[in-house]
Amino acid sequence: MLRKDINELLTQTGPGTPMGELFRQYWIPAMLAEELPENDSPPVRVKLLSERMLAFRDSEGRYGLIDEFCAHRGASLWFGRNEQAGLRCPYHGWKYDYTGQCIEVPSEADNSSFCQNVKLTAYPLVKIGDLLWTYMGDPAKQPPLPEFEFVHVPAEQTYTSKRWQQCNWMQAFEGGIDSSHVTFLHSGGLKTDPLFKGAKGNEYNMKDTKPFFEVADSEGGLFVGARRNAEEGTYYWRITPWVMPAFTMVPPRGDHPVHGHFWVPIDDENCWTYSFDYHPVRALTETERQAMIDGHGVHSKNIPGTYRPAANMDNDYLIDREAQKRGETYSGVAGIAMQDASLQESMGPIVDRSKERLVPADSGIIKARQKLRKAAVALRDEGVTPPGVDPEHHRVRSAAVVLPQAESFLDSCRDAVRATPGVPQSSV
Amino acid sequence: MAGTDMRAPSAYPSECARATAPGESRFRIDVPIRPARNARVIGLDERATAIAQRVAHRSWAKATFYTCQAASDAGTGDARIVLHRLDGRPVLLGEVLTGTDVVVVLATEDAGRQWAAAIGRLCGADGITTAGIVLGEDFEADDAVAALRPYARVLLLSADESDVTELLTALRV
Ligand code: FES
Ligand SMILES: [Fe+2]
Repeated sequence: MLRKDINELLTQTGPGTPMGELFRQYWIPAMLAEELPENDSPPVRVKLLSERMLAFRDSEGRYGLIDEFCAHRGASLWFGRNEQAGLRCPYHGWKYDYTGQCIEVPSEADNSSFCQNVKLTAYPLVKIGDLLWTYMGDPAKQPPLPEFEFVHVPAEQTYTSKRWQQCNWMQAFEGGIDSSHVTFLHSGGLKTDPLFKGAKGNEYNMKDTKPFFEVADSEGGLFVGARRNAEEGTYYWRITPWVMPAFTMVPPRGDHPVHGHFWVPIDDENCWTYSFDYHPVRALTETERQAMIDGHGVHSKNIPGTYRPAANMDNDYLIDREAQKRGETYSGVAGIAMQDASLQESMGPIVDRSKERLVPADSGIIKARQKLRKAAVALRDEGVTPPGVDPEHHRVRSAAVVLPQAESFLDSCRDAVRATPGVPQSSV
Repeated sequence: MAGTDMRAPSAYPSECARATAPGESRFRIDVPIRPARNARVIGLDERATAIAQRVAHRSWAKATFYTCQAASDAGTGDARIVLHRLDGRPVLLGEVLTGTDVVVVLATEDAGRQWAAAIGRLCGADGITTAGIVLGEDFEADDAVAALRPYARVLLLSADESDVTELLTALRV
C-alpha cells in the first residue's frame, strides 16, 4: 500500500518532478541503434521522461537528440531534411546541427550572426552495444558511460529488442523484480519456450510454487533471492539483481542466454520495455537469435515496422481461451512478454497503489519503492547522487544456483552475481 | 481463432483498450480497504526491542508488539516460551500467536537465535506467515538469520528502521 502522494512521486517523471530529476542523473536507453541505421537516415521521434525530441544521424555519422520543434514557428522537425551535416526544417529552411545549434537561417543576410543565438535543447546520444543512450540531466554532472554487460559483450553474443508498453514505468518495472508470478503466469512457457525449456532449474520452479524470499541491499540497488526446495538438504536459488533506477535481470536457466530488461518512461502513461538476451562467453546460435527475433523468451513479436507488439490491448492480446483451457498458456495470452504486459496494462495507465493488499512475498517491491523514494528525496533536498549512477554498480548478473540449506545466498554468490568478462553465468 | 467470430463487427476498440482508457479508473468500486492483517511484531534482542518500541508509537490498526528479553521458560515446548509486551507484562508465545496471521520478527544480532527458531517452528506448524527483518549493515545476525531462514517467507536483510514501518504499512496491519 502506498499513499497517493508517494505513488505520484514514484510515477511522475516529467521535468522538475523528483523522480524525473532522479532519472535525469543516469544514462538511459533512448532507442535501438537499428532505428538510425545509416548516415542521413530519416529522423525519428523520441519521447522520454515526458519530453518530445527528435533523433537523427548526420552525414558524418554523429548522433543528435534535439527538441522536436523548430525554434522558428514550432513545426515538427520530423518532416525535416537530413542533409549535409544537419537537419533542415522544411517549412522555411532553418537548419540545425547534431548539438541543436542553428547553423542557417535562410531569410537572414548571408553574413548575419542571428543563428548563433538560436540553439535547441539537445542531449548527448551515444551508441553502446545495440543501443543509443542518452543523458538528460545537467551537463556538468554527466556520469561516465554505462557498463552493463549486455552492451559490452561482442555483438554476436547479444540481442536487444524493444516494445511499447501502455502503462506507467513503475508498473512494468515492478514485474521485473516480482519473482513470485513466474510459476503461475509463465508456467506454460517453462515447458515450451525455446529460450527457457529443458533447464534443470525449471523442474524446481514447477515443483515448488511457494518460494521463500530474501531481499538484500546492493551498492546499486537490490538483490532479490527466491528460494525453492531442491534435492534433500538443498535449495534452488534464483537471484534477481536490480540496478537503480530501472535495470533488472531475470535469473538464467541452464545454458540458455541470460536476459533482462530496462524500463524507460516515455511519459507518465507509457514506457519502453527494452528486453535483452546475451551469453557471457559464447555467440548466440542462429536458432537462438531467430527465436528472439520471432518474439520468444522475453521478446515480443511486434507489428512490422513498429515497436508495438502484435498482440496488444486493441485486439485483447489475441487471448485464446481454448489454449488456456488446454493448459498451454496460463492466462490465455501467448508469450512471456505479453503475458506480463497484458496484466500490467490491465491495471490502468497508472495503478492506484493506495488500493493494493500486499503480502510479505512482495517485500522486494516494497523495498524497491522505498529506495527509489529515498533516493529521489535525497537528491531533491540534499543533492545526493543516487545509487546506480556509478558504472561500477552496473557490473552485476543474475544467477540460478543450488546451495546447501544452511548457506546464505549472499555469501555464496558474491562471484556469481558479479559480471566478470570471460566467465560464464552461474546457472542450473 | 475460436470465439472471435462470435463478436459482431464493431467500430469500437477492444474490451481491454476500453477498460484501460485513463478515464475508466473513475468507475472503479471505491470501498475502503479494511486492515487485512492481525500482526505480531517481535523484537528478538535489545536493539530490536528499542526499534519495536519506536515503531509501536505510530498508529497501527491491529499490530501488537513484543520483546524477547529477560528470557525465561514457563515449561516445555515452544508455546510455553515467555515473551513480554512492551509494558513489561509477560505473555506465553502460544498466546501471542493465537488469532494472528502474520508475524514480523526483528533481529540485530545473534542473541535471539533460539527465540527465532522457536517462533519459526511454531508459526510454521500453525500456518502463520513469518517475515524476518534483519537490521544493520554488517551481518552480526548470521545465526539468527540461519535460525529464521527455514520458516520466514521473507527475510529483509541489511534493513534499516524505516523498513519496519514500510513493511508494516504495506501489509496494512
Ligand atoms: S494475484 Fe497478484 S494481481 Fe492478482
Ligand atoms: Fe513475468
